[in-house]
Amino acid sequence: MHALKEIVRVVVPGGALIDLRPLCDRWPVEVAWSDGFLEAGRVTDLEESLAADRAANKATFDADASGVLHRERDEYFPFFYYWDTAKEMQDYIAQNWEDVISVEDDVWAKLRSLWTTANADARARLRMKMLITRYRVRE
Amino acid sequence: MGRESLQLRALAAAEITPMTVQVDPEGTEAKHLRHYADLASRPMRVLEIGCGDGRLTWRYAEAARRVTGIDLHPDDLRVAMIDRPANLAATVSFSQADAVHLPFTARRFDLAIFAWSF
Repeated sequence: MHALKEIVRVVVPGGALIDLRPLCDRWPVEVAWSDGFLEAGRVTDLEESLAADRAANKATFDADASGVLHRERDEYFPFFYYWDTAKEMQDYIAQNWEDVISVEDDVWAKLRSLWTTANADARARLRMKMLITRYRVRE
Repeated sequence: MGRESLQLRALAAAEITPMTVQVDPEGTEAKHLRHYADLASRPMRVLEIGCGDGRLTWRYAEAARRVTGIDLHPDDLRVAMIDRPANLAATVSFSQADAVHLPFTARRFDLAIFAWSF
């Protein structure tokens, strides 16, 4: 909330604020190729990520309710990360996002199986859920 | 560590780890941002909070009157400065700053972009 108030301070009345961020939603783990994809399973959202979502949602809700900002429109859209192999995806998530998401062993096994039998151009993919919201700074 | 730095950590890791990762090759994020920002309607002064290494900045900056990117991480800002295209040198600047204490006077920007920064 403090950051939102500070941002509102430096934006002209009638100006806009765009909030763009991923949301926890048990993102699908997929194998994708040029004209299709298959889902191997879903990630598990860890508590720290869920808490971050709750805090962000509360901050924006409070700013809207207090009259500082006016929510004009919002939209969800998919945002993809791609890896050449299932193993690269597994290594990457273990290395970078171990406190953000976890993936069960059966999902990795299914992903490896799908990737092995898919088309030659198949890649491992994570389908994140993004939220974009535009707020208007009140006059 | 929270998810607010997920993007930064991922990009940093991609630099040091020899694995092939592609982030949003479809450009979906930038497409939505340009649509919501409505930068085509008039030249705007934009503040991007959590600009990181400028991954998103370069996808809309040409349509802005001026862009100021801030981030807490100096290494990312250095990458952004190195990557800044020559034609955007007069338009885009970067500062190390915290969104809670912005080093700017009031009512200076037409648009603030809070990207992956909660």
